[in-house]
Amino acid sequence: MTGIRAIIRKELADHFSSYRFIILFALIAMVSLITTYMVGMGLKEELSGLAKPKFVFLMLFTSTGPLFSLVQFVAFFGPLIGLILGFDAINRERSSGTLSKLASQPIYRDAIINGKFLSGVITITIMLLSILLVVSGLGLTLIGVVPGVEEVWRMIIYLVISIFYIALWLGISILFSILFRGVATSALATLAMWIFFSFFVSMGASVVANAMVPLNQATQRDPERLMKHLKVQRMVSLISPMQLYNDSTAIIVDPTRKTTRSLVLMGPLERLSSARFERPLMLSQSIYVVIPHLISLIAITFICFGVSYAVFMKQEIRSI
Amino acid sequence: MKTKTRRILYTLFLIITFTIGASFICPATAKEETEKKDTRPERGMSVAFEYPGVVISTGDDATVDLIVKNKGRCDESISFTIVSSPKGWETKIKTYSFGISGVYVPEDDEKTVQFNAKPAKDTKPGTYHFKVKARSADGKLSASPALRITLTEKEKEKGEIELTTSYPVLQGPNDAKFEFSLDVKNKIDKDALFNLTATAPKGWQTNFKPPYEDKYISSLRLKDNESKSLNVEVTPDRFCEAGDYLIPVTISAGEVKAEAELTVIITGIYKIESGTATGILSLTTEKGKAGTISIYVKNTGSASAANIEFLSVKPENWEVGFDPETISTIEPGDLKQIELSITPAAEALVGDYAVGVTAKGEKGFDNLEFRVTVKASAAWGWIGIGIIMLVIIGLFGLFVSFGRR
Repeated sequence: MTGIRAIIRKELADHFSSYRFIILFALIAMVSLITTYMVGMGLKEELSGLAKPKFVFLMLFTSTGPLFSLVQFVAFFGPLIGLILGFDAINRERSSGTLSKLASQPIYRDAIINGKFLSGVITITIMLLSILLVVSGLGLTLIGVVPGVEEVWRMIIYLVISIFYIALWLGISILFSILFRGVATSALATLAMWIFFSFFVSMGASVVANAMVPLNQATQRDPERLMKHLKVQRMVSLISPMQLYNDSTAIIVDPTRKTTRSLVLMGPLERLSSARFERPLMLSQSIYVVIPHLISLIAITFICFGVSYAVFMKQEIRSI
Repeated sequence: MKTKTRRILYTLFLIITFTIGASFICPATAKEETEKKDTRPERGMSVAFEYPGVVISTGDDATVDLIVKNKGRCDESISFTIVSSPKGWETKIKTYSFGISGVYVPEDDEKTVQFNAKPAKDTKPGTYHFKVKARSADGKLSASPALRITLTEKEKEKGEIELTTSYPVLQGPNDAKFEFSLDVKNKIDKDALFNLTATAPKGWQTNFKPPYEDKYISSLRLKDNESKSLNVEVTPDRFCEAGDYLIPVTISAGEVKAEAELTVIITGIYKIESGTATGILSLTTEKGKAGTISIYVKNTGSASAANIEFLSVKPENWEVGFDPETISTIEPGDLKQIELSITPAAEALVGDYAVGVTAKGEKGFDNLEFRVTVKASAAWGWIGIGIIMLVIIGLFGLFVSFGRR
């Protein structure tokens, strides 16, 4: 245990003193603040003279504003934090020959990987928490609305999901840094992974859907066919952890959303019936709606770390 | 040989009997026809009053049927003229609806027209003679039947109150007010004060009112031969059963009295009410799973409600069931319980939905609106926690097997 603690401390010191981290943090903090400021100003203008709708505070995170919402930003660029923190975790030590020195110290080998992963997670947590708090504070002064208990809970759950999501990318990058000896190789591999899941899976999903359920001018009108098309697209795109994260946070942060599906087939009577008592979902219901997403996200994070742990433990490190 | 001769004899016998029988019948009918034709004259008619002598009292008028019969073989068109009628009498020949001056009678037919004689008001009692002349179109046939009308002095009754009503039967529900209109005519030859009484069933209210005035009266002053109309306002018992109710109305002045029977037909109120025992109109269920709630239907009307069925307004693919599905009858004041089960569609979104339920009797209905909260299934939550526990156990397994190297 003492070994892990020492490694975590050293790693954190490394992280916080490195220019890489400071530049990354500054970049993300800046973008978040600008985004929030613009969204907040927009909301203030929009809501002036209106009765306060429920969950205004959460709108700060979900409204898209002129560019993108904070939630979208974290979904897209959050993985970069994880990747940059982890892509050279092991292979840099290896190439500079410090890994064998470290292993010769009276610490267990699993303390090295555990400590590196945990320090990364702590860094991510500190980063996200501070950004979230700063944004909330800015929002408070901008729109002058105090968040309710449920909103705070939703924010906390959102924070936890985000930490898991970025930790997943951290795990992936650590795995690559174990697998590849070259720092540049692992950096490229992680970047490729990120680009693949962020861009190509969604593109590939529409390609697959078009191939399986082609839509043209005539068949576009058929709701059944359209729904089938969207279903295929959704199933393919759920391969990407980004999609899982997007779906789950959208539901958690926006209480008025009732489903992760983008299009829902609804009869006229059903619409009338559900419009009669329009109200936001309770937090527990929101969680139940996306619970499969949350489970998958958390499970693959653990599995990813488990794989890198197993690979690292079996590797020969003293020979070099 | 023997049988053959017998058969021949038999057939011969039959033929003879038939021919004889036929010769008896046929000539007879032929003869009759010719005789009838012979007896009818070329032309002929008879015109006569049904009652040549009539007795009426002063003030009344007499209407007597005039029978016109064509006895000849030609159709006749017969015109009437009233030849003589006493002074002061107004006479006319008419059918049911209009006055006539002639009638067309086909051969071998009979027509009935009416002769009407109306005396002037000051006509004195006595015997009056009337004569009508009937002539065929060419004037060759004519008849002049005579009528004798004896006008007698009208017997002065000791006293009479005329009590008439145009609408003696009214119909409506319990909570309606019934207004009968009565015409009272004083015929007792003197001014008098009339007492008004009405007997109504228990719990009912009856009031006499002058028309177009909002006050209640219990007596009425009428001059000789004066007539007035008055209204009887009947308020039924709010909870009486459906049926016919007789309300005799009596108007009396001393010895003399007149009665009228008014009838009120109560149709009963048809009203049913539905709700839940606790008053809660919301229920929570999961998608695809039935949520149940028991509702009641109460008959708050005064007539029994029959054939109550249940209808629902629900989102598509939802199921709403009722147990029992229909109720044959509910007596007034009674209450029946129904189990309502609402099953959201398997693909319903979480959230609140409105489901309308209507209890509909033959007459009367009531609506209920339920707020159905569809919840997400919590089963996934436990499965998820299980999966994550498995993953963590696996991780610890890794730690244990690889750790401490």
